[in-house]
Amino acid sequence: MKKQKVVILDNEQQNNHDLDAIHELQDGLSKVDQFPVYTPDLQWFENMVIIEKENNRKKLRKELSLFLIIALFILSGIIVSFYQLPFVFLFIQIITPVFIVFYTIMGSRKKVKINE
Amino acid sequence: MDPLIKSAKEGDHLAFAMLFKENYPFLVKYLMKITMNPDMAEELAQETMAKCIQKIHLYNGQSKFSTWLISIATNAYIDQCRKQKRENQWKGQEEVFRKLKWHFESRNEEWNDALEALGKLPVDVRVPIVLKHYYGYSYDEIGAWMKISSGTVKSRVHNGILAVRRELKLGEETESRHTRQRTTK
Repeated sequence: MKKQKVVILDNEQQNNHDLDAIHELQDGLSKVDQFPVYTPDLQWFENMVIIEKENNRKKLRKELSLFLIIALFILSGIIVSFYQLPFVFLFIQIITPVFIVFYTIMGSRKKVKINE
Repeated sequence: MDPLIKSAKEGDHLAFAMLFKENYPFLVKYLMKITMNPDMAEELAQETMAKCIQKIHLYNGQSKFSTWLISIATNAYIDQCRKQKRENQWKGQEEVFRKLKWHFESRNEEWNDALEALGKLPVDVRVPIVLKHYYGYSYDEIGAWMKISSGTVKSRVHNGILAVRRELKLGEETESRHTRQRTTK
């Protein structure tokens, strides 16, 4: 019983030291809050928003066109194989779902292992 | 939801600008606390605003707008640190907060030892300490922003505080007494 009391007191002391450190940290950090920060005017922020939106639009356009080109390339490959090389077309048609099923099963197995 | 945020979500430039102007000092000051570098704080604040424009459709109004900004800024800073680490351009911790120290001195403010100790801590410990003990966010919230478990956040905060205590020499007497007792046992 006596031993336990000593432990509690020590923990209290430790907590007090933690609190002292936290208070000192808060004190220092609140001084950072007192620094005057230069805030640009509303016009600057509005320009920034307009430029950023334009950049995002450009990026989206670029990504979309890249996606369409790749999709078109794959699709034309499949169409050509359908008319010119039906065996290759059939092979792709069979191997694709098999690969997807295999990949999904492997993925879920890994997840189960992690959870175990 | 705040009508200003609603307008910004609908694509109003001015509403966005007003929101940013309102939150800019808060954002820069938060970034100053975690980066300890005023220049980097301003740079990251701009990056945060750019990301905010991109992701505004994901803001659901459940938390305050400033809290949402903090979560984006935290991620931006962690990403930048990771990139810098990869590029081996990471400057010494001393250099990181030298300018902040200079800011303090130029305002005739006393440089706080705890702040110096905080600056010496690694980023992944410093950030949760500031978020927990200055801004009062929960371990769960911090964990979600930093993509780590709340238990990890808790232990990082705890170890960080211990490191600050060690630096400030708080409770050293008690600790040494403990070790003495343990060795005599």
